[in-house]
Amino acid sequence: MTDLASVTCAGCGLLCDDVIVDSSGAAVRLRPECSLGAEWFSQRVRRSAGAPAASIRGQPADVEAALSRAADLLRGARRPLVHGFDWATVEDARAAVALADRLGALIVPGGASGPWPGSPAVPLRGASSATLGEIRDRSRLVVIWREDPVSTHPRLLDRLGFGVGATPRVGADATARLGAERRLVVVDDRDTSTAERAELQLRWPRERDLEALTGLHARHRKLALRPSDLAAQLDGLLELINVVPHAAFVYGAGLVSGRGGQRRALALHELVRALCHDRHVVTLELPPATGTRSVQDVLAWQTGYPQSVDLLSGHPELVTATRPLETGEGVDVSLRVEGAFTKLPDAATEIALSSLPGGSAGTEPEVSIRTAAPGVEANGTAHRLDGVPLALQAPLRGAGPTAAALLTRLLAEIEA
Amino acid sequence: MTAIRITGGKVHDPANGVDGEVRDVCLQDGKVVAEVGPDAGRIDARGMVVMPGGVDIHAHIAGPKVNAARKLSPEERREDPMDRTDLLRSGTGGLVPSTFVTGYRYSLLGYTTVVEAAAPPLAARHVLSELRDTPMIDKAFLILMGNNQVLFELMRQSGGAVGAGGRWIKDAVAWWLEATGGYGVKLVNPGGVEAFKQDNGNVHSLDQAVAGFGVTPRQVLEAIGGAVHELGLAHPVHIHANNLGVPGNADTTLDTMRTLSGRQAHFAHLQFHCYGGKPGGQIRSRAPELLEYLSSHPEVTADVGQVMFGPAVTMTADAPVSTVLRDLGGGKWINHDTEVETGCGIVPYTYRARNYVHALQWGIGLELFLLGQNPWQVMLSTDHPNGGSFLSYPKLIRLLMDRAFREDQMGRANQRAIGRTALPDGLDREYTLNEIAIITRAAPARRLGLRDKGHLGVGADADVTIYHDRADREEMFAIPRYVIKGGDLAVEDGELRHSDDGLLLSSRAAFDPEVSRVLAPLFGERYTVAFEHYPVRDAALREPARIVEATAR
Repeated sequence: MTDLASVTCAGCGLLCDDVIVDSSGAAVRLRPECSLGAEWFSQRVRRSAGAPAASIRGQPADVEAALSRAADLLRGARRPLVHGFDWATVEDARAAVALADRLGALIVPGGASGPWPGSPAVPLRGASSATLGEIRDRSRLVVIWREDPVSTHPRLLDRLGFGVGATPRVGADATARLGAERRLVVVDDRDTSTAERAELQLRWPRERDLEALTGLHARHRKLALRPSDLAAQLDGLLELINVVPHAAFVYGAGLVSGRGGQRRALALHELVRALCHDRHVVTLELPPATGTRSVQDVLAWQTGYPQSVDLLSGHPELVTATRPLETGEGVDVSLRVEGAFTKLPDAATEIALSSLPGGSAGTEPEVSIRTAAPGVEANGTAHRLDGVPLALQAPLRGAGPTAAALLTRLLAEIEA
Repeated sequence: MTAIRITGGKVHDPANGVDGEVRDVCLQDGKVVAEVGPDAGRIDARGMVVMPGGVDIHAHIAGPKVNAARKLSPEERREDPMDRTDLLRSGTGGLVPSTFVTGYRYSLLGYTTVVEAAAPPLAARHVLSELRDTPMIDKAFLILMGNNQVLFELMRQSGGAVGAGGRWIKDAVAWWLEATGGYGVKLVNPGGVEAFKQDNGNVHSLDQAVAGFGVTPRQVLEAIGGAVHELGLAHPVHIHANNLGVPGNADTTLDTMRTLSGRQAHFAHLQFHCYGGKPGGQIRSRAPELLEYLSSHPEVTADVGQVMFGPAVTMTADAPVSTVLRDLGGGKWINHDTEVETGCGIVPYTYRARNYVHALQWGIGLELFLLGQNPWQVMLSTDHPNGGSFLSYPKLIRLLMDRAFREDQMGRANQRAIGRTALPDGLDREYTLNEIAIITRAAPARRLGLRDKGHLGVGADADVTIYHDRADREEMFAIPRYVIKGGDLAVEDGELRHSDDGLLLSSRAAFDPEVSRVLAPLFGERYTVAFEHYPVRDAALREPARIVEATAR
């Protein structure tokens, strides 16, 4: 790697493309500063030295042999699973879905043992959303709902205009008209780094989010309500909303994951929809991983569904269960694509095509091929958390094939 | 790619003055040729109708808006799965099919070229990725520029003129096409979408300034429409006028046409823009006035945007319109604001024959087809999937070709609405096959500036559709006997025989590279994407492509 390189950082879903990577010292540093991004780059720069290009049952192997073994495993699989995509590119996802289609595989974005998204709320009623620049330049009020982006997406607040000296930019006249004052509100009962930067923190336990959201909606509609100890906080938030022409809600797994997640997400979107009659209100969803939005989008355009899809029947079927692998699903071969190591519940034979293969002694994949890290060693395309597609650069060159290239090879071998 | 002789068919090639003559068509190396050798494959087309491959000038098939619509309606997809085969990818259908199914179904319908009519330039990589996964058809996309803050700023600096300081507008338009791989320029509700994104506002006349910029829709039309005209892009500026769907909007549409007078322009889904009445009241038809204007202004063309009774999905960059539809039906609604450039609204919708407004819209669309004197000016579209799916084209063709069928359908529609159109007044016109060939391939190709498309002259692309000459025109156009794409047999009797990636069609116009120095600071102020990272340079997305060069005026 050259000492200084201008890149798009794929360390989180923000995909900051104004980043200068400085690897001249002992540690990788980023400008603007971002500890998460620096760690992300460091992992990939460090791992490039010494690691074998491929392995079979933990023993170094050449890539061709590993590919051949992977093809044999997939060809003989009864119930293949394709999963991962934590840092996959659009190209990786396109190739993975193509292979999954041919295999009749179950395809799961995200870790196979983590919480699955369940039934999404958007198909029930829709949503209002916006790109980062819209929120930065127009939203006078930003409500961050049970997320801590200072930890998970460290530059989010800066990029939404809550950095030091930031001002909205929608043309000089509009800036003057809207005024310079903007407010950041956090809904969270935890003491987070994000809450520290908020003007106002509203506290109630996560179990009461649905009550809070429906309460806000009811108050907005001026419905008669039973007394509630949340009333003062909800009225205060509604007052803030009611005085601005444009507001945004930022949310993520803190609201939508787990039991009742769909209902809470639906309540948020219903609230936003109601608020939209009087002002412009948008949402921004923080994804769990860099590659989440890319793989969701690819799945949507190639299969029609944006999340877990089962291709066993010969055509795509949407999977809406929250933890299907707990029941086994009969998965016998697992193909992990650019994803973090995941211990599978039914001990399926694993193939890993990943720039960070992971695993430890005794848990090594049956076949592992090290890929060129997207955004470090390989170019590609990634979709930012707000859907904006961006190019990833490769400041460190020459470290093997991309996952997309390997998946395409596997498909060709299986079809041959 | 083999040589093929299509023999004995009745050829309809209006671009070359061929109207149903029985003649051979020869194909070799992906092109129409004068003659092929004796070893060429033969397709016996006796008793059949031979036309160039269909060209859809205005549809919505790829990009973030389309993909959001897919995410919005999984239940529709669940009812229409398509299995993988050794040749084909699996997918799902419905009104907004997955990409592979979109390509397959267009091909099965005899279409070989389709234009995605509204893409945010910022999302070009996404659009290109989807188009790469849309097989069987050649495809192009139009970039949205009617609410672009950077262009607004350039207009404000130049007073809206293309000349003088406004020269950068022309260069900027050319730069944006180069940066994205787009084919042409689309204006959607100029100024109105920016107003909506500010505070749910809109603009209602061409002279209402957009807050924060002081730029009016008329200035946008003149500056960008003028720039596209002067650049000499193969396809003129493609306009979705202000006040879509609003009673009385024919005045706005005519004002828009007059504003662009003397310059080439294409008006999208004109049916939604030729209403009489007063805002807040009921619409009535002013289609005849619009057609009269077109008849004396050959520089203006339109596609109809016919509504078809049944389900549709409205998806548009004209986001304020979507809020009206949201509140009408109370159902699903997606809004998405794209910084600097545009908005997006999606609402699933059903056009009902008994509904007064829907029936009137249906009738107005048919008026545009049937009262128009020049089929080269008024082209077939349903604004897929806004007025209905592209799969409804065969039925629409039957409505145009079969008076008895049309009258039967009129009888099922709201009679008060139909009575307010010219349809019951002895409008007995029936389109000929040649006229259908004009509105579905020859005219769109010509208007897109695609010299190799829409005709069967020597040198044309070997994109050919062969139909059984059936009395039931819906059946005839729904299942072509053969579809040949790029010289390869793609479809035979409703079955896909060959998979083809299809080409990307892009356009290019010369620009002063100094425009980058003008744009870079404006980008820095407004976008959250770095200027140097904005252009799409990835060969895998941009190539292979056919580049259509502009001819500067």
